[in-house]
Amino acid sequence: MAKIPVTIDDKPLEVETGRTILEACKENGIEILTMCHLEGIGDVGACRLCLVEIEGINKLLPACTTKVAANQVIKTKTERLKKYQRITTELFFAERNHICAVCVADGNCELQDLGYKVGMDHVRFPYLFPQANVDTSHPMYVMDHNRCIMCTRCVRVCSEVEGAHNWGIKNRGIEVRVISDFDTPWGDSTTCTSCSKCVNVCPTGALWPKTVVQGQLVKQPKMVSELVAKRKMNL
Amino acid sequence: MKKKKIGTVWLGGCSGCHMSLLDIDERILEVVKLADIVKCPIVDQKEFPQVDVALVEGSVTSDEHLHELLHVRKQATCLVALGDCAVTANVTGMRNYLKKEEVLNYAYVEAASNDKEGKMPQHPALLKLHEKVVPLQEVVHVDYVIPGCPPSADTIFYVLAELLNDRVPNLEQERKLKYG
Amino acid sequence: MNRQDLKTIAESAKAEHNQFKHKVCVCCGAGCLSSGSEAVLKKLQDEVKARGLDKEIRVVPSGCMGPCNQGPLVKVMPEYAIYQKVNCENIAAVVQSQLVEKRPIEDLLLFADSRPKPYVNAQEDPFFKKQLKVVLKDCGSINPEIIEDYIVRDGYKALDKVLFQMSPEEVIAEIKHSRLRGRGGAGFPTGIKWETVYKYVADQKYVICNGDEGDPGAFMDRSVLEGNPHRVLEGMAIAGYAVGANKGYAYIRGEYPLAIKRFEAAIKSAKKLGLLGANILGSTFSFDIEIRIGAGAFVCGEETALIASIEGKRGTPRPRPPFPAESGLWGKPTLINNVETLASIAPIINKGGEWYSEIGTPKSAGTKVFALAGKINYSGLIEVPMGMSLREIVYDIGGGVPGGKEFKSAQTGGPSGGCIPKEHLDVKMDYENLVSLGSIMGSGGLIIMDDSSDMVDVARFFMEFCMDESCGKCVPCRVGTKMMYDLLTKICNRQGTRHDLDRLEELAVYVKEASLCGLGMSAPNPLLSTLRYYKNEYLAHIERNTTLEGVSHG
Repeated sequence: MAKIPVTIDDKPLEVETGRTILEACKENGIEILTMCHLEGIGDVGACRLCLVEIEGINKLLPACTTKVAANQVIKTKTERLKKYQRITTELFFAERNHICAVCVADGNCELQDLGYKVGMDHVRFPYLFPQANVDTSHPMYVMDHNRCIMCTRCVRVCSEVEGAHNWGIKNRGIEVRVISDFDTPWGDSTTCTSCSKCVNVCPTGALWPKTVVQGQLVKQPKMVSELVAKRKMNL
Repeated sequence: MKKKKIGTVWLGGCSGCHMSLLDIDERILEVVKLADIVKCPIVDQKEFPQVDVALVEGSVTSDEHLHELLHVRKQATCLVALGDCAVTANVTGMRNYLKKEEVLNYAYVEAASNDKEGKMPQHPALLKLHEKVVPLQEVVHVDYVIPGCPPSADTIFYVLAELLNDRVPNLEQERKLKYG
Repeated sequence: MNRQDLKTIAESAKAEHNQFKHKVCVCCGAGCLSSGSEAVLKKLQDEVKARGLDKEIRVVPSGCMGPCNQGPLVKVMPEYAIYQKVNCENIAAVVQSQLVEKRPIEDLLLFADSRPKPYVNAQEDPFFKKQLKVVLKDCGSINPEIIEDYIVRDGYKALDKVLFQMSPEEVIAEIKHSRLRGRGGAGFPTGIKWETVYKYVADQKYVICNGDEGDPGAFMDRSVLEGNPHRVLEGMAIAGYAVGANKGYAYIRGEYPLAIKRFEAAIKSAKKLGLLGANILGSTFSFDIEIRIGAGAFVCGEETALIASIEGKRGTPRPRPPFPAESGLWGKPTLINNVETLASIAPIINKGGEWYSEIGTPKSAGTKVFALAGKINYSGLIEVPMGMSLREIVYDIGGGVPGGKEFKSAQTGGPSGGCIPKEHLDVKMDYENLVSLGSIMGSGGLIIMDDSSDMVDVARFFMEFCMDESCGKCVPCRVGTKMMYDLLTKICNRQGTRHDLDRLEELAVYVKEASLCGLGMSAPNPLLSTLRYYKNEYLAHIERNTTLEGVSHG
């Protein structure tokens, strides 16, 4: 594979062509914050945490969907980016009803971890406190829309990896919600295979198995990444 | 160095943060070397006095809380939001997705009540609930926040020690950030 | 059909039209239709027939003529007398006086109620005199549903020219030479876009016409599609030839049923004549167009969302790069141009890029269609050379602000644009100047506001629009617009604080820079531009805050 020179955070690097900026950073030990990204499923560039600055381009671009080009000078940790990461995190917390104290994912939550990473001690914007439902109709799992951050990992893993297409999205703007089938109770789904992939990739306590209680949830998002990698090996 | 003054107040919360404050145990002796605790929920002084550091537990849920908080803000040089309720509204904010009337109705009319009549309390001395519960920073300027439900005693002691020694606490740097 | 047939059609149509002494156009654009022009048209046809004048007078339902708020409009040619607010009662008098006695009825002429003396020849009226119609040249003069009406006015001549006299490279060079820029709002040089798509090698390429005009108060594309659909169709075919695409999609929003109907009719009649389909005019070039109807999401005007929508997916944008020119519809190189851009192509080919580039300003060549609306005497559809001052547009063409009120602000670019204050009335309207004032050219919406407008409320209105229309995919736009809307509402309700204003400004910059697509990136523009020019109004709202919260923040 041909390699191209790029500079990331002042580090001169050689990166294989066709790599995304995120892949290039990971390979070289440069940490990039992500939320909607998960190895093994398609990237959508929606959470905007992985935005980077590229010299000569006046827009901020998401590392997960932007491919590296030769001689690019990329910055991932400028003051501006850090500020925006913090605001994004704050907006995640303010958007729905994230009550860590009563959440199954407390202590095992990617959103909490993100908050700690960006140093968010409080949210400076008004909480929206929306009305959000909890769907307990599935025999094994719960979907709590209060804790959903619309990363759409569940939607993508369900269609791309499981091939079941149970999850979809309805409405737009602040009203967007993840839906099961045609917005019917999850328990009534005719497409869900109860495979638990969505539950495992969900970064927060939005999707969880009924067998756990507050703070007990352990997720295995890597399971899906490994599954996809194994399938590619064609054993 | 002149001895500082600390006051604590309990707004819309469960008092768990105050319990956690007590959990600093013998380290309270370190605190009182530097400051007098001149006001707290068990000190029987009606008015919140002038203090250097005010620890405020709980969210703003009613006219009484609002009034008290505005007063504390005036009295305190440094106002610290103590615990998730003060910082995020937390559990107390869970009534925000319902109408206030629904909540009151459920608590006093529909739920089993000890007056057995299911009447809404009407006494003028009672506080009046706000439609929405909000964290402190939506009402006043907050100088420092200590998230957590409750924040650990270590974290509370760390912040107090820093403030009383005229240093700036940095929870992120000390890896003491914790929600829930 | 071959090249000669096209000429024959043009000549025979011309001969037929020349038999008539008069052509009377009744505006059947959406605006005039809603004020009853269909009945007027019917009545006029009956009247002409009853008087036995149908051999002398040709009555034509036409597209938009411009002064929309004066409709229904009736234009008598060749005198160029335009009658306003015509109804079934007074149309007979118009026929009798104007067409039989050759005596115009002054009281019914265009702007008779507001000008000291109306112009008998409307072309002399400042409203028209100041305009330069390139895109709208035939709009309002031809029957959009009769292809011969278009052909007779040099229609499809440009397509004929490119197919037989020009190579795709030459077409692209001509467009580049014209310095035409995308009229959808961003102003990207059209020629360069075409060249990019042309350069990608692929088994299949596409041309998309973006007719998902969604800005509040904008109706440029609608009027072009309704008034002269063949012009757009011809532009698409030329674009297809230039970039190497044989398939086009016209994405028209579902709220424009008339535009869809007329564009459908245009495709049908063009296909019938062999101006669309296989081996156009006997050449080796084949091109087909399908219509896709938008379902009402503003964000589908964004090119990647539009493409997703054509593909049958949820209409949400995706990050660029890759740009559609590289990977667009179904992953193939795709050229996507706005209606007005495509409608500018035929005249450029016919008259040359040089001619076009001399209109307007050095950086913004050509003309721009504006939908003039709001607190202005003569609202409607206008086309002016780039670089005309806002003052000329507002006062000379638009006739100033009604009710003796003062001009306060002009909002350009819809929810993606900004407000231009009174002190910049002399700004020359082109892409760069508007950007430097914190607004954008946008697609051509131009809303005039008088001194009764509350600018914080204006910002809130546009923020509400963006909040409602956000697709909800990326966090900054989904949550940021809602937060900004809430904060603006708080300030409008006299409950805002300085702290709220600071948060608002912080969010605005964040949403502008961190959002995924153009909707989010431009959503804070109305807020930022009103903050720039009318901050005192925000502060006044805050100072009048009477709640306890306001006191506490200081």
